[in-house]
Amino acid sequence: MRRALREVETRALLSLGRTGRRSLGRIRAADATAFAEAAGETDPRLLDPSRPDFLLHPMYLVSLLRGPGPGLAGPPEELRPDGMYRDEVPGTDGLDVLLMAGGQRLTWHAPLRKDQDVEQTHRLISVRRKGRQPNRFLVLIVHKTWSTAGQGVVVEADETFLVR
Amino acid sequence: MSEVDPPTRFTPDQATLDRFGASTRNPHRIHYEDEFAREEGLNGTVVMAQLHGCLLFRAAARWAGDPARVVSLGWRNRAPSGPGDQLTVTVTGATAAGTGMIRLELTETGPDGAPRCIGYAVVRAVGK
Repeated sequence: MRRALREVETRALLSLGRTGRRSLGRIRAADATAFAEAAGETDPRLLDPSRPDFLLHPMYLVSLLRGPGPGLAGPPEELRPDGMYRDEVPGTDGLDVLLMAGGQRLTWHAPLRKDQDVEQTHRLISVRRKGRQPNRFLVLIVHKTWSTAGQGVVVEADETFLVR
Repeated sequence: MSEVDPPTRFTPDQATLDRFGASTRNPHRIHYEDEFAREEGLNGTVVMAQLHGCLLFRAAARWAGDPARVVSLGWRNRAPSGPGDQLTVTVTGATAAGTGMIRLELTETGPDGAPRCIGYAVVRAVGK
């Protein structure tokens, strides 16, 4: 296994189980509808906030890497050379490795009400080697939750990252 | 099932990726810079995993008749897709999954018919 990948594995194993927190700020209907439009959504219940059955797109929160408000994305020095946030994939900060998303498992507990402040938690729960040399890679699974003060946890996810 | 539940199709272009990435604050260069993506071993820029997720979600919501009835969704990425690829999500199976719940099996294929994502959704059965 490449030295950089072994370093990712070591760091990741040491960080297993630690919970990090991130504020996504206030989630507004306009941001969720812009997301729905960008995703090619056509269902008016996800696009028109004036409807009584309007729903903030359930995929919006789980797709957000940072909050939509000003200043929440952080300065450029928080990015890896490949553009990804340095702390997005555990153990990879400063290392020359390739990052790919592997998939997600999402469970919604309640529809998010608009104009709520949302906090995300993230906790690495699994580190596995996969593949054979010289094509060995790591599979990291991060458990995430999104919650508001008034609603508690509205959605949780297990997100898989592939590190090569 | 295909006659009752037609496939959900979407063809994101590079502008779609730019717009979706801006909306989700996704700065990963493999989605925007073709040359950089090739340096990373890809065939060019690639569709975000979350955008695949949105298409899978849409297929489940259409099957259920209401996006509020989708209670869980999962998928594994099988192969990258690039801008201009028509993505097609098909509900390949539906089984009872507890009281009032139905589990859907979902497959997303690219223009060559090969799977891009394999997934599932659990939806509330009300009205279906």
